[in-house]
Amino acid sequence: MKGFYWRLVIVRLMSGKEFFVDRYERLGWKLKDVKPRQAIRLNITNIEGKSLEERLEAIGVEVEKVPFLETGYWVLGSKVSVGATAEYLLGLYSVQEAAAQIPATLFTDLKGKTVLDACAAPGGKTVQLADLMGNTGVVVALDVRKRRLAALANHLERCHVSNAVVYELDARQVSRLKLKFDRVLLDAPCSGNFAADRNWFKRRTLKDVERNARLQREILAEAAACLSDDGELVYSTCSLEPEENEVNMDWAVKHLDLRIEEVDCYGDKGLTEVFGSRLDASVEWCRRIWPGETQGFFACKLKKRESKL
Amino acid sequence: MKFAVQVGARFSLNADLTVNRAGRYFLLNKALLEVARKNFYYAGTYLGKVKNGKFFPSFNLLAMLAEGEANKIVVENKAAWLFICGRDVFGKGIVAVHGSRRKRDHTLVLNEFGECLGFGRIVGSLGEAAKKGEVAVKNISDIGDFLRREI
Ligand SMILES: C[S@@+](CC[C@H](N)C(=O)[O-])C[C@H]1O[C@@H](n2cnc3c(N)ncnc32)[C@H](O)[C@@H]1O
Repeated sequence: MKGFYWRLVIVRLMSGKEFFVDRYERLGWKLKDVKPRQAIRLNITNIEGKSLEERLEAIGVEVEKVPFLETGYWVLGSKVSVGATAEYLLGLYSVQEAAAQIPATLFTDLKGKTVLDACAAPGGKTVQLADLMGNTGVVVALDVRKRRLAALANHLERCHVSNAVVYELDARQVSRLKLKFDRVLLDAPCSGNFAADRNWFKRRTLKDVERNARLQREILAEAAACLSDDGELVYSTCSLEPEENEVNMDWAVKHLDLRIEEVDCYGDKGLTEVFGSRLDASVEWCRRIWPGETQGFFACKLKKRESKL
Repeated sequence: MKFAVQVGARFSLNADLTVNRAGRYFLLNKALLEVARKNFYYAGTYLGKVKNGKFFPSFNLLAMLAEGEANKIVVENKAAWLFICGRDVFGKGIVAVHGSRRKRDHTLVLNEFGECLGFGRIVGSLGEAAKKGEVAVKNISDIGDFLRREI
């Protein structure tokens, strides 16, 4: 009983707004009121940017290019819900948060490749990958939740994706498919962040963060094992917690046959010092996005260590 | 493809690339056929499902049919929007007719950009006489269904 009581006290102490805000300050970021802007992503396979802009304008949706994205637009104002227009239902665009549009763009040369989307539902990034691939090659998309798979299937049908195959499969068992992947997107299940969830601080504890970090490492190890020798793996989360981000990437370079690649995209450098621990210097090449115009996000590109490409 | 005939389309699918997964039909390409295991949840292009002996076409299949010769009506903006909201098409909203005008035949419904919004059954006149404001095409299925499915 006594042990149980102390465990409860510890969990209490390692949760709540103050606890997390203090952590962010120690990582160099001060909490502020943020309101991420709504964004959409053009499906270039289905329409050209200029035509979509004109069509949206005609129905009272005002958009503006997101400067750091090729096919992303901020929604400046709209007389209608952007998730219910004819153009949306025809798959001409997807409603996708701006930072969440970054990971799929970090791959080089996706056309004709065999790509794994390890944690895919509801499919925002699966559709984006298929779009960047021009519906060539194959995207293998996995998820463990049936309900979310149904949403993924709708998303694929709506956007006329024709190069994806979806399995209800735990990504920790992807080697069962006996495939090698040229590109792997691991948009990992994570703790999320307060900018995308108003009750985040009430809900989350450090224990959740550590549990998620463990699951992420397990998936990462399996995904790395299925990556072809000259393949590319992009790891991303919408968590702000370093255990799920930089610390996991440090673990990956130390325990898996992977190295971090420098990427040129929106966001800050990855943290190389986390609560007194020094991480591998290459972790700096990750991208950390503190909430602001976008929600919080993290992305990192990895390659096999011996790869010369 | 009985459904294709119903909408007046000449259309055939390569049987080797068509897969029936528990009553849901998918069209795969060769690359997908090589990697897809039998137990997939979704693959390639979803064509539609058979339920209680009846075929329900997907919107991908309707879009494929709309690319070729088929029964089609083109509707103006407002009629297109109402159709997506689940409403029938009134004669006055139709701007062009291709293929059959016969009552009880099925027809695809397209917007002015030529994009397929769904299909319906012809119940009234599609010609000049239709301008009086009677229902011309009864809505059977429209892309607004993507939103209704999520509720
Ligand atoms: C961050 S969400 C993915 C969002 C998605 N990539 C998108 O862009 O729409 C993480 C997903 O991982 C799934 N997931 C959780 N554990 C998993 C596992 N062991 N294997 C595969 N997917 C898993 C969850 O069901 C959830 O849908």
